[in-house]
Amino acid sequence: MEFKELDPILHSQLRLAVVSLLISVREAEFTFLKEKTNSTAGNLSVQINKLKDAGYIEVTKQFNNNYPQTICKITKKGVESFEAYVNALQSYMNPGG
Amino acid sequence: MSLEEKKLNEDESLKLITEMISKAKSSYHSNGTGAIMWGIVIFFCSVFDFLQMQFHFYIGFDIWWLMWLALLPQFIMMFKYNKKKNFVSYEETTMSYVWWAFGASILMLMFFNSHYRPAHSESLFLMLFGLPTFITGGMFRFKPMIIGGMVCWILFVISLYTDFKINLLLMALSALAAWVIPGIILRKKCIREAQQ
Repeated sequence: MEFKELDPILHSQLRLAVVSLLISVREAEFTFLKEKTNSTAGNLSVQINKLKDAGYIEVTKQFNNNYPQTICKITKKGVESFEAYVNALQSYMNPGG
Repeated sequence: MSLEEKKLNEDESLKLITEMISKAKSSYHSNGTGAIMWGIVIFFCSVFDFLQMQFHFYIGFDIWWLMWLALLPQFIMMFKYNKKKNFVSYEETTMSYVWWAFGASILMLMFFNSHYRPAHSESLFLMLFGLPTFITGGMFRFKPMIIGGMVCWILFVISLYTDFKINLLLMALSALAAWVIPGIILRKKCIREAQQ
């Protein structure tokens, strides 16, 4: 039985949490991700940049009523990588399957 | 190793994915206020119209135009909610298209009726009421709304065999089944969750 390699970008707690949230919604603000992952702004920001650099998410910065807003959205590549990651996880969980 | 760089085992990864998807899904919920308000307006207009016919009086304008006035607080609530929320869900986007399509259809049907005054046109309202209600209920697996939508369609069939006055009462009944009762159930659920 050959185990599929787990994507190192996703195989990290906060990045996986962010991608799992973004796969469930059309788009989310930075504050939503921070609230749901219980992470600090600094750490979240670093992980979001890593996901962005990998092409897994799109990040848009804009102003809303003079307040800066960071909006994150999963990309097609992000969705495909997430699906591949879940499939790989399943191969670990059900090695005979 | 910081928490953010922590490598997970397979079990932990799956657990985290499930937890986050569930958190995202539970972020979008209605407190039922919109449904209750809309339902009460339809109920009131139907019963009032019935009473006008039954007791032969007229207030000088079509009571059904109140329906549009009632949309004003809905828009205000929607505007406030949109300003506050920090995410957009797929379900919410789909639902808003369904309800905008419903609103547009109701408006067009009202104009059609005022132009041609066809017989049994009120039945078409019952049919339309069932559509967004059934879809919303199905989308959120909320049985009271699925049942409410089906009740509207059953009332639509009944209304084909009853006269206009009775159909007004059927419309009032449809408003209770499709919006008021599911709205109250949602509101109670929301209050219960907030207290926990």
